[in-house]
Amino acid sequence: MLQIQNVSIAYGKNGSPAVDKVSLEMKQGEIVGIVGESGSGKTTLIRGVLGCLPRGATVSQGEIFFGGKSLLAYSKEEWRRLRGTEISIIFQDSGAMINPIRRIGSQYVEYMRTHVPMSPGDAWDKGVEMLERMGLPRGDRIMRSYPFQLSGGMRQRVGIAMAMTFQPKLLLADEPTSALDVSTQAQIVRQMLELREKYRTGILLVTHNLGVAAYMADKILVMKEGRVVDAGSREEILKNPSHEYTRNLLASVPTMGGERFV
Amino acid sequence: MEAKHVTKNYPVSGNRTLTANQDVSLNMYRGRTLGLVGESGCGKSTFMRMVVSLETPTTGEILYHGKDITLFRGEELRLHRQNIQMVFQDPAAAFNPKMRVMDIICEPLLNFKRIKRREKEAVARKYLEMVELPGEFARRYPHRMSGGQRQRIGIARALALEPEILICDEATSALDVSVQKNIIALLVRLQQEKQIAMGFICHDVALVQSLAHELAVMYLGCIVEVLPGEKAATEAMHPYTRAMMSSIFHLQMDFEKPVGTLEGEVPSPVDAPPGCPFQNRCGQCLEICKRERPPLRVVAPGHQVACHLFTQQRREEK
Repeated sequence: MLQIQNVSIAYGKNGSPAVDKVSLEMKQGEIVGIVGESGSGKTTLIRGVLGCLPRGATVSQGEIFFGGKSLLAYSKEEWRRLRGTEISIIFQDSGAMINPIRRIGSQYVEYMRTHVPMSPGDAWDKGVEMLERMGLPRGDRIMRSYPFQLSGGMRQRVGIAMAMTFQPKLLLADEPTSALDVSTQAQIVRQMLELREKYRTGILLVTHNLGVAAYMADKILVMKEGRVVDAGSREEILKNPSHEYTRNLLASVPTMGGERFV
Repeated sequence: MEAKHVTKNYPVSGNRTLTANQDVSLNMYRGRTLGLVGESGCGKSTFMRMVVSLETPTTGEILYHGKDITLFRGEELRLHRQNIQMVFQDPAAAFNPKMRVMDIICEPLLNFKRIKRREKEAVARKYLEMVELPGEFARRYPHRMSGGQRQRIGIARALALEPEILICDEATSALDVSVQKNIIALLVRLQQEKQIAMGFICHDVALVQSLAHELAVMYLGCIVEVLPGEKAATEAMHPYTRAMMSSIFHLQMDFEKPVGTLEGEVPSPVDAPPGCPFQNRCGQCLEICKRERPPLRVVAPGHQVACHLFTQQRREEK
């Protein structure tokens, strides 16, 4: 479904690449985890897939195919039709992506109506339905709330509900649980796994939490300084990491009852 | 350092009160670490802010060498602040971006007239060495350093006054796992060298239990369990502690098994209802939990739990 072939992304004209010759293949319904430290190019890569790189950054080399078509050749209009319906994204803090001075409902309805012609009433009902399906009881009340009235976990569910409205084939998740507490994190992880069960959504998950990546992903890519240093199935990465860096990373994850410093 | 029955209320609109801390009693000892875990908004930071005298408790006392620090005022309070220092979560936000590293590290020393202005660079280099950074960093600005390096500067500054107590408020939460590990190792080494009492706030139970001598679990402003850090993995009893531990993702877990989740949301701390704070999310909630708040009871040496389940069981055994 998604093929990334030898892609490099550079900031500025002569800047060194933030993403350096990365390749990745993803099938329908597959979950791929990209792990690495901050600054390793994980986020730049998935922003490249969504075609919304920051100003000054360009794909300098390689190809990205989605459903057999090259995304890099898309026009603005084609991109607009693709985003939010076929490919959508959830961010680390969905609260920051929504307008703080407008109610959830008005933004949700606006989002749906820019993609699909539908009446405001229908859009509202669809929104309520999606929120309730994502484990938010009383969707009607959520629609009438302001973002600050919701907890971090609830806002993240709103973000997932919005991203899943049109049942995209590919969901990009940029650190979706990093800002949450452990118990909320577990709820959101479960929620995302259900998406795959129910809708066969492929998820490209970017995270620095190896535990979450290991639990969710079928395949894992380890990135460092823009390059993929290790890639393979979950079992391969966890049991037989080929790169020294992966071994270090695995050893640094704190475990209950594990290594103690005192 | 001893905190006794500390309660902190904040007034909120409509004549209601928000209870940030409810009857918290915790002790800190020389050379030992008190880990405080809990979800965001549970009152961990409020408690530690009272320990460093940034807030005053509504009721209760905080004793430092037998003296109640909540009564300190003016010059007495200013001089007392040398004894308790703090490391913050985001050192990028905690430093003045226009100050050089040596000014950052030496500012507290100059404030208390411990060093002369011309000794500044030499002293800064000494402290940089202590936190395993090259001396040339003294002339740099914080924006030219990575998160881990900045956090080391934060530690150097906090330890410059040779405090007896060091409070770390999510000091490693913003860092990558591999960097996090190095910072923890540094903190533990310095603690042992200088015999500092450390208070470590974090929401990552797995991390806290790896370095804490005592581990306190907080929920909705109440301490629900206190236990020795090395026993946390095996002997935790409170339903909340156990639920929190079961929802950690680690690498040895069974990936086929669904991860344990706590359903629902934390209730609002404004006008909290009577009874156990955890009642609405607890799988083993009893009738009594809705009426009475369970007190902390000793179940084993150094292990206290606030839960009716265990008092109930004990009565049945008798």
